Amino acid sequence: MFIRGLLILLLVINVSPRPVTFEEVPPSASKITWTHNNAHSAERQLPETVGAGCAFFDYDNDGWMDIYFVNSGPSDFFTPPSPLKNALYHNNHDGTFTDVTDKAGVAGGRFGMGVAAGDYDGDGNVDLYVTNYGPNILYHNNGDGTFTEVTDKAGVAAPGWSTCATWFDYDNDGKLDLFVSSFVFYDKTQNPLCTDPTLKRRYYCVPRLFKPTPSHLFHNNGDGTFTDVSAESGIAAHPGKSFGAVATDVNNDGLMDLFVANDTMPNFLFLNKGAGKFEEVGLAAGVAYGEAGRPRSGMGVDATDYDGDGWQDLFVANIDQEFFSLYHNDKDLIFTDQPGEIAPATQLLSGWGLKFFDYDNDGDPDLFLVNGHPDDMIESRIARVRYKEPLLMFENTGRAFKDVSASAGTVFSKTFSGRGMALGDFDNDGDEDVLISNNGESPLLLRNQGGNRNNWLGLNLVATKSNSAAVGAVITWQAGAVKRSRLKTGGGSYLSSHDPREILGIGAATKIDFVEIRWPSGKVDRLTSPPLNTYVKVVEGSGIVKK
Amino acid sequence: MRKNSSDPHKKAHKVPAIVVCLCLFCCFVVPLCGQQNDPVKLFEQIASLIQDNRLAEAEKELTRILRVTPDLPVALDFLGTIRAKQGRLNEAEVLFGRAVAKDKNYTGARMNLAHLYLLKRAPDKAILQLKEVVALEPENAEAAVMLGDTYLAESDLAKAEENYLVALQGRLDNAGALFGLGQISRLKGESREAAIYFNRVATLTADSKSPEFLYKFALEALRVGLIDEAKSALERSLESRPKDPSYLLALGIAVLRKGDLFEAEKLFRRVLEIQPSNAQAQLHLGYVLLNQKKYAEARVWLEKSARPGAAIPEVFYYLGLIEQEQNNDARAIVLFEKAVQQLPSYAHARIALGSSYMKIKNYARARQELETAVKLDPEEPTAHYNLALLYARLKEPAKAQEEMRIIDKLKAKGASNSGVIVLPPKSSP
Repeated sequence: MFIRGLLILLLVINVSPRPVTFEEVPPSASKITWTHNNAHSAERQLPETVGAGCAFFDYDNDGWMDIYFVNSGPSDFFTPPSPLKNALYHNNHDGTFTDVTDKAGVAGGRFGMGVAAGDYDGDGNVDLYVTNYGPNILYHNNGDGTFTEVTDKAGVAAPGWSTCATWFDYDNDGKLDLFVSSFVFYDKTQNPLCTDPTLKRRYYCVPRLFKPTPSHLFHNNGDGTFTDVSAESGIAAHPGKSFGAVATDVNNDGLMDLFVANDTMPNFLFLNKGAGKFEEVGLAAGVAYGEAGRPRSGMGVDATDYDGDGWQDLFVANIDQEFFSLYHNDKDLIFTDQPGEIAPATQLLSGWGLKFFDYDNDGDPDLFLVNGHPDDMIESRIARVRYKEPLLMFENTGRAFKDVSASAGTVFSKTFSGRGMALGDFDNDGDEDVLISNNGESPLLLRNQGGNRNNWLGLNLVATKSNSAAVGAVITWQAGAVKRSRLKTGGGSYLSSHDPREILGIGAATKIDFVEIRWPSGKVDRLTSPPLNTYVKVVEGSGIVKK
Repeated sequence: MRKNSSDPHKKAHKVPAIVVCLCLFCCFVVPLCGQQNDPVKLFEQIASLIQDNRLAEAEKELTRILRVTPDLPVALDFLGTIRAKQGRLNEAEVLFGRAVAKDKNYTGARMNLAHLYLLKRAPDKAILQLKEVVALEPENAEAAVMLGDTYLAESDLAKAEENYLVALQGRLDNAGALFGLGQISRLKGESREAAIYFNRVATLTADSKSPEFLYKFALEALRVGLIDEAKSALERSLESRPKDPSYLLALGIAVLRKGDLFEAEKLFRRVLEIQPSNAQAQLHLGYVLLNQKKYAEARVWLEKSARPGAAIPEVFYYLGLIEQEQNNDARAIVLFEKAVQQLPSYAHARIALGSSYMKIKNYARARQELETAVKLDPEEPTAHYNLALLYARLKEPAKAQEEMRIIDKLKAKGASNSGVIVLPPKSSP
C-alpha cells in the first residue's frame, strides 16, 4: 500500500512540470555594483523620472553577453556632487562581471536615457548609441576593447531630449539606419509648478503640459556618416512625445515599419511606403488612441506574432488606469486591442520595459513586463497605485496570455521602480535571462531557471548582404508537426537593447527538422536537422559555419 | 418640541414626540386623569409604554381613562396611535377622527391623521389635515415641511415650494425645508441651485444620526453630483445600520462615481452577501468587473441581474461590450440591437453597435449607427472617435480629422468622462 502511494506520488511529481522561474543574481554574485542615480530633486525635473536603459551586447566578440547601463549626468538642471558614469561590464563567463567602463571609454558623462547596440559600420564589432537629455553619443567599437566617440563625425547627435533608439534598415540597403525617439521640448525653465493642494510639495508634471518634438530618422550612408532624413521621410511631420519604438513589418511587405509609443499623445504607426517614405496610419489602424479617442501614456512597446497567424501584433504599456494594450493584427492594417488577462493585471500599473520572448522554449513568445510609477508622490494622491510596482510574467497560451507571475519566482512578489529591460542569455545556457534598470536604484539581473529544460537551438546570425543585425529576417523552424515562424524585430522594450541571438524553442521535441532563414536581402538559408541545445553561427548565404 | 422641530429626521420618532405633546396638552385640558393625581405624569407614563412597545399596558391605562371620559381627545389620539402601531389602520383612523371631531384645534391628532392618510396612500386627505394644522399654527415648521413633502410627492412643485418657504420663515436652518427646495431645483433641472441647497443641508445635518434621513439625503446628493457629501452621509448611515443593503449599495455607487472601482466592488459584493438576489447590486458588480476587464465574472453577474421580462437596456449593452471585447462581434451585435430596441435613444449602445459593425467591416451599418449616435449625443467623444476611425478606414481623412478636432474641443470643455470606460448604470439604488 505504501509503495503504491509512493508510486502515485512519483507519477504526480513526474507529470507536473516545474515552472520556469527567474532568480535574482545578487551583486555579491554578479559583482555588478553600479547603481542608477536619478538626480532626484525637490524641483522634480521631468528627466529625473524616466531613465534609464540597459543593454546586453557582446562588445569583445567572445561569445558572451556583456552589459551596459546608462546613468544620469550633468545637465542644465543637475550638477552631480561627484561624477556619474554609465557602466560597461565585461562578462567573465563564470556568472561574474567586471567593470571596464573607463578602459573602454564609454562613461557617457551626460544626462543619459537609453542605449541601442548595433554594428552600424558592419566591421563585426558592435557599436553603442547612447541617448540623452542633451546631445546623444555614438561610440564606435574599435575592436580592441575600446570605443571612440564619433557622434559629430557621424552626424547623429540629435540634440533635445532623446529617449529610445532603434537600429533597423528601413530601405533594405543592407546598412543599419537609426530611429531616435524624441520626447518633449524641455529645459529647466520649462518646469511648471505641479504641486499637491497644499502647494508645498512638487510632483512630476504630466507630459501633457509640454510641447511635443519630432523624432529623428538617420539614414546610414555606409561611410561612417548618417544623413538626417526625418523631414523627407515624413517622420518629422509628426511631432510626438515619444518613448518606446519597435521596428517591425505590420503588413508583410518586406519593409520595416515603426510603431512608436507616445506619452499623452496618440501613438504613431509609421508605415514604410518604400522609397524612403513613411505614412503615419495610427488612427485608421486603431493603435493611436484609447477609448473615446483619448490618447494614453504610451511608454514601452514591442511587436511579435503571438498567435502564429503570420501577422505582427503590437504591444504598448501605458500608465495606471489606462490598461496596457495588446493589439492583434487583423490584417489590412487594422488592429484590435485584445489584452485579455493582461488588462486586469495591469490596471493599476505603469509599464516601461517589456519584451516578447520564449521564456520556456516551448516555441511561442511569452511576455515580460517591467513596471513602476513615474511619480514618486503618487501614493499620496491616488489610492491603490504604488510608486514601486511588481514585475509581471505572462505565458502564451496560443491565442492569449496567462499571468504566471505567482509561480515565476520570488522576485515577482517584490516591487521596483522599473524602467529599462533588456533580454539576453548571459550564461549561454540556452534560455533568455533578463536585465532590468531601475530608476534611482540598483539594477536587477534575473537568471532564467528552467527555460532550457525544453530543447532549443540558438542562432547567431551573421549578415553578409543584409543589415548587420539581421533586423527583418524571418526565421521559420519545424519540429515534428509544429512549425513556427519569427520576424527579427528591431528595438522594442524601453530605452534598452537586447542580445541579438535568436533562441528557437521546440518544447519536448527531440529534433528540429529544418530551420529556414529568409534574410532581408531576400537570400534564404535552409538548415536541415541542425544540432540541438547549442548556439550555431549562421552566415548569410553560407548556412552554419564553425564558430 | 414639535413646533420648533427643524430636523426632518425627527419624523422617525413621530409617535413619542406627539405623545409627549399630548401629555402637555392634557395638562391644560384635563385636570385629573384616572388614578394618577398628576395628569402630565400619567400621560408621560402611557407615552413611555407606547414608545417601549408595551402596548397592552398602555391600552389598559387608556381604557380606564376612556371609561371615565369617553371622548377625551388625548386618550383617543393615544389609542389611535396604538392601533396604528398594531397595523389596524382603519380603527386608528376612526380614533384620530373622533379626537379631531371633539377638538378641531387639536393639531397633534391632525398630524397623526395626516401620517395615517399618507400610509394609506390618500395624499389628498393628508393635505387637508396638514393645511388645517398650518392654518391653526402658522409657525408649525414641521407641518409645513410635511405638507411640502406631500405636494412634492404629488409633483405639485409650486405648492411644495410655497410650503417649504413657509417652513423656513426667512431662516436657513430648517434642513427638511431646504432639502425639499433642493429636490425641487433638481427636478427643474437647476443642478447648481440644488447643489447649493444640499450643501447647506449637509452642514445642518452634520451631526444627524438619523440613518433614514442621511440615506434620503445621500440619494439626492448623488443625483446632483455631490458625491463627497453623499458618501459622507452614507458612511454615517452605516454607522447605525452597518448591514443595511440599501445603504451599502448607495455607498458603492457613490464610491464608483469617485472612480474607485475596487472599493465599489467590495461594497457591491457585501450587498450580495446580505441580499444575494439584489439585482441592482448584481448589475453594478457586473459593471465594475467589466471596467476592470474581468469579463468572465462580469458576465455572470450581469446575466443574474437580468430578470426575465425586466431586463434593462444597460444589461444588454454591458453584455454586448463583453462579447465585443472578446472579439465575438456577431454576438455583441445581437445584444446591442436588443439594447437599442428597448431604448432607441441609447447613444452608447449605438456607438458600440457601430463599432462592432466596423470590426466586421460592415461599414454602411457602422456609419448609420455612429452618425445616429452623434446626433443623439453630440457631446460624447466616443461617438466622434469611432466615426473618425471609420472615416479614416474609408479613406476620408478630412472627415476623420474633423471628428478628432471635435473631440479636442469637447475635451477642452471637459466633456470627456475620465476614469471609467463605460458609463455607469443609470438606475438609482
